[in-house]
Amino acid sequence: MARSTKLKILWLQSITCNGNTHSFFSHPNFMTLMQKFEVIYHPILDSKYSLDNVINKKLTCDILVLEGAFRETGMQKADREIYEIAKSYAKKAKHVITVGNCSTFGGVFRLYDPESIGGFCFNDETPNEAYKLFKRKLISLPGCPAHPRWIGNLLSMILSQRQILLDNFHRPIEVYGYSAHAGCPRNEYFEWKVDSKNYGHKEGCLFYEYGCQAPYTHANCNKILWNEVSSKTRVGTPCFGCTEPYFPKKDLWHTNTLMGIPATMPMDVPRRAYLTITGIAKSFSIKRLNEPIIKYKK
Amino acid sequence: MKAETKRSKKKESIIKAALTLFSLNGFHKTTIPDIARRIGMSTGNIYNYFASKDILAQEIIKYTSEVLGTEIRKINQQKTLSTHEKIHKIVEVYFTMATKKPEMIEYFLRVYLSHREVFVGECDKMICVAGFITEIMIFFADGVECGDLRDQDFFSAFGLFMGYLGGMAFLNGEAILPRALEDYIDDIAYNIYNALKT
Amino acid sequence: MKVKYLIEKIEGEAELEFDFKNGLVDNVNIYFPFYRGIEEILKNRDAMDALVITPRVCGICNHAHLIASVRAIENGLNKAGINIDLTQKAISLREFTLSCEIVQSHFKWFYLVALPQLLNLDRMKCPDNYILKASWASTNIVKALAIFSGQWPHASYAVPGGVSCDPTYEDIIQAESLVDEVIRFVENELIGMNIDEYHKRKEISNIKGDMAIIFGMLDKHNMKAKGKSYDRFAVFGEHPIFQTGQYNKKYSNDIDFAHIDEHPQHNSKAKSVTYKDMCYEVGPLARAIMTKNDFMLNLHDKYKDSVLTRVYARLDETIKLLVHIKSLLANLNVKELSCTLANMPKALEADGVGMVEAARGSLIHQSIIKDGKIQKYNIITPTQWNLSSGTQKEAGIAAQAIKGSVSIEEATFIFRTFDVCSVCTTH
Repeated sequence: MARSTKLKILWLQSITCNGNTHSFFSHPNFMTLMQKFEVIYHPILDSKYSLDNVINKKLTCDILVLEGAFRETGMQKADREIYEIAKSYAKKAKHVITVGNCSTFGGVFRLYDPESIGGFCFNDETPNEAYKLFKRKLISLPGCPAHPRWIGNLLSMILSQRQILLDNFHRPIEVYGYSAHAGCPRNEYFEWKVDSKNYGHKEGCLFYEYGCQAPYTHANCNKILWNEVSSKTRVGTPCFGCTEPYFPKKDLWHTNTLMGIPATMPMDVPRRAYLTITGIAKSFSIKRLNEPIIKYKK
Repeated sequence: MKAETKRSKKKESIIKAALTLFSLNGFHKTTIPDIARRIGMSTGNIYNYFASKDILAQEIIKYTSEVLGTEIRKINQQKTLSTHEKIHKIVEVYFTMATKKPEMIEYFLRVYLSHREVFVGECDKMICVAGFITEIMIFFADGVECGDLRDQDFFSAFGLFMGYLGGMAFLNGEAILPRALEDYIDDIAYNIYNALKT
Repeated sequence: MKVKYLIEKIEGEAELEFDFKNGLVDNVNIYFPFYRGIEEILKNRDAMDALVITPRVCGICNHAHLIASVRAIENGLNKAGINIDLTQKAISLREFTLSCEIVQSHFKWFYLVALPQLLNLDRMKCPDNYILKASWASTNIVKALAIFSGQWPHASYAVPGGVSCDPTYEDIIQAESLVDEVIRFVENELIGMNIDEYHKRKEISNIKGDMAIIFGMLDKHNMKAKGKSYDRFAVFGEHPIFQTGQYNKKYSNDIDFAHIDEHPQHNSKAKSVTYKDMCYEVGPLARAIMTKNDFMLNLHDKYKDSVLTRVYARLDETIKLLVHIKSLLANLNVKELSCTLANMPKALEADGVGMVEAARGSLIHQSIIKDGKIQKYNIITPTQWNLSSGTQKEAGIAAQAIKGSVSIEEATFIFRTFDVCSVCTTH
């Protein structure tokens, strides 16, 4: 049967900052993309129905997009618990997408009350009750915020019925199979263990002193770049691990160490292997890597 | 295969002879011909194994570090041991070596630490002792991770641990200690643990 | 007659409770129901964590939160005797990225909020073209921002002592070309003339493009002079193209954090805020008034604080900022240091206030640090100034502005001229 109607998207917010909404709005082909769908509700676009309609009428959607952390009670809109609204739409939707770290794992806002606030299907890394109900249709796009391309391309892949492989947190592997470290221009400094000693330099690796979590964070930020041009590590800011269930860790600008040794190893690298390589790499002083890349004339 | 084994055996015997002579006569006074004479080898043949005395010196420290590192690695891999027990075993390994192969520890203390000019280039910084250092790092990191050891800078912990052991080995080498080195293991392990624990 | 109304698509929602008398709004109560506890979350965390956590107050003005939080730390360091001297490069980069975010926000307000709401009054649907314009313009300006900040939303590139980035001339060229593109967009679409011509305008009616459409619609709906409040304005945040100070019948450049008070409100999670016990309007109109631009002063003489002056100030500011940030880039000296502070002092004890002009007005962060950890953090957002129900003494700025509206549609449009941000208001 030829597709006669567009897939319906309903974008529902819970405890959020709207960061994912605005991130997605910065997608360079936002309009072209959205025109392929029927937007039932969206937090900033003029949409077919009002929030009141969404909450009080029984509408239907094919793709439910959830933004923000959830609590079973105490987060109401139009006098209804938004968690219940989300569950009722999730039951009928074909796909449930949790965009952002909050709706996936609980994120920043979970910290306010970890006993009762969490993601839609996970509390940190633990699957919750809703997970059992929706795991078959769940796709997680954690990130703080999610990258516009992750959202846009996932919607397009659903539309074109492409195969979407997921990891154990239901994150698409094509996005989260990479580490945020992959593609970082500071990689040479990581390889040769040349630490950043001060903020504000192109040179140096942020892993040893400044808390960079890129080597153990699942995300392709440094492959596809943010806003098409940049990334945190490209501008000397450490990766804060915002696609992971434990985001945001404490002391975000400091590397957690065990007797001076980074506490968390690069993804799947045994501590012994890392230390062996580190010991060797550190012993060589590579002149080029200890000098500014560019020496402007006065 | 066989030729390879033979070659490494030969290499080891050169290292052992060199270690003995270095500790008997000192690093600078020992020459390649001295070493050759001791093991009944021609001087020229030794150069087939080590291109210079400096390179030999570097290989020896790597060899020593590997021997120690391998022993500590075995301890690190015993997941059922407590941190205190691990410390005890590391002290034991070190003191056994200082007793049974004093030339190795002597070499470390008298040559490696006092002739830094020899250990440059490929042996710069602590690379030649990486095998040993890596295992000590893993021991420390595991100890902090399981909550037994207090988190601190690596070198403040390392200095306390290894400086202590090195000092005892030195006193033993100078024949100052009234008792056998192994008699001190319990107390020293206890002291180290107490100094580093949380 | 009381009427409850859920106002949505304002970076979240709010509930307005109107009291109508003789067909006119007599009073309004404004409720922001969601509280996320950002200030609580920050307690006992490392002082620098605020640079990552506070941007998460708001998806649309996150960068302003970053700048306010870094200024709060720096102010605390200075007061603790650790002198922080930013290089001109770091100052300019922060100004650039902050201004880009304001411009982004203003574009979205204009094309996604103001125009569609006015079209709704005529029962017309918002054309896709407006969404396309909002998306194109905001995407491109935040792209320029991200060259230096790494990403938008939620960058944390401003650190005590400067910025973490170390741009090349090539980066600057790329940012310049993006700003040029956005300026071209403004000329072609927003004002329908080149910027030089715009600067020579004598009357609002000289302006063309989409800006002319909104003024035409305000005219048609007889709304230009509506939305008057107390005609009091305050600007707290330092920015080279805005003058700080306050206006209450007369101008004063004295403005002191000590005179600010927050008041809890019944039924709402948002606190109202006063300066010397009075409500003040913050935002583009306040900035324009304080900066005493002739064109604005003439307009203000005639319309005071009204829908027209508010709409005009927000759009005019967009253009002023774009012109300003071009000169920032042109004068940026990449040879200067990006960051002058090597590391945060250990066991820091500090109490600092960071004030910044965000898209919607003055944003204030206060950070009290003990032993390097945040002991207390307080955030006062622009929308708390503008959108509270008020105090026992007087109605809030927007609440006052809405009084006398003939319909809910008119009242909510007036409300939206303040550019409402629900998430910031409660945080």
